[in-house]
Amino acid sequence: MSVFVTLLKKECLESWRQFSWFWVPIVFILLAIMDPLTTYYMPTLLDAVGGLPEGTIFEMPDVTAADAMMMSLSQMSMFGVLIIILLTMGTISGERKSGVAELILVKPVNHSLYITAKWLAKLILFLSSFIIAMLSSWYYINLLFDTITFTDWFYMVVFYSLWIGFVVSLTIFYNSFSNKPGLVAAKTVGTLVMMALVNSILFHRLPWFPNNLSTHIGQMLNEGRLSQELWATAIILALLNGLLLFCSFATFRKSTH
Amino acid sequence: MDQALELIKLLWPLILLQFILTIAALIVWYRTEETKGEKWVWLLIILFANMIGPILFFIIGRRDR
Repeated sequence: MSVFVTLLKKECLESWRQFSWFWVPIVFILLAIMDPLTTYYMPTLLDAVGGLPEGTIFEMPDVTAADAMMMSLSQMSMFGVLIIILLTMGTISGERKSGVAELILVKPVNHSLYITAKWLAKLILFLSSFIIAMLSSWYYINLLFDTITFTDWFYMVVFYSLWIGFVVSLTIFYNSFSNKPGLVAAKTVGTLVMMALVNSILFHRLPWFPNNLSTHIGQMLNEGRLSQELWATAIILALLNGLLLFCSFATFRKSTH
Repeated sequence: MDQALELIKLLWPLILLQFILTIAALIVWYRTEETKGEKWVWLLIILFANMIGPILFFIIGRRDR
């Protein structure tokens, strides 16, 4: 166990050194509050920028609090996920390239502990940033739009965390048998794009497909109840997380021997 | 002018966070000895590509050790 703690500390120290603990929360907050804020102030913005002909009437679509919250989430699923991938792509492959991995694994360190420590360190960083970001967007949405209850917010954060975990697990899985960070990122993004494609084709047949998580969360925020599909998607995501992590143990062991 | 002031009042959280991010990137840029590629190019990127610039610098700009 103490080996694990040491490995975890090393990972966290590395995030400190790369200033990730500083800028990831800030960027996530920016991503989360940008859309709700600009949507709310759009009339004022248009007014200030001007250039509209006299008498133009703009029909602003009504944006509910749930819609605004979903705007934050969709920013997270685009740029947030991209940042997560870019920051995780080198976690093992980069160490392989520079020889740090060999230095560590020469010692009697369990391979699965090595991977789990990396996984957990990344997860702690991204989840705490995500929670801070969602807290700030929650604050603004309650202020500017309408109230979203704490329970709804809490469920949203918990369920969406599974998706963040999935992205981290997937990136680490591709890491486990590669020494090229760029390739890892490309494979991860490719997989996510493929999944989105499959989802857009089979959307009606597979309501539990992982990519539907945001849709179900949106539904939950609108209707205020947890649907069966949301639970099914969440359970599948959790299982996928475990499976990917387990596979990375195996492939990592194979590729280092 | 009035309207500009109004806008700043509305959007100050965004502006403040962007500002902090840029300043942080500048400090790290100043203290980094070796960057990937020319160092002065990174200064331009940080200053003029707002939000994306600092992020790019943090992710790929610095050479490890």
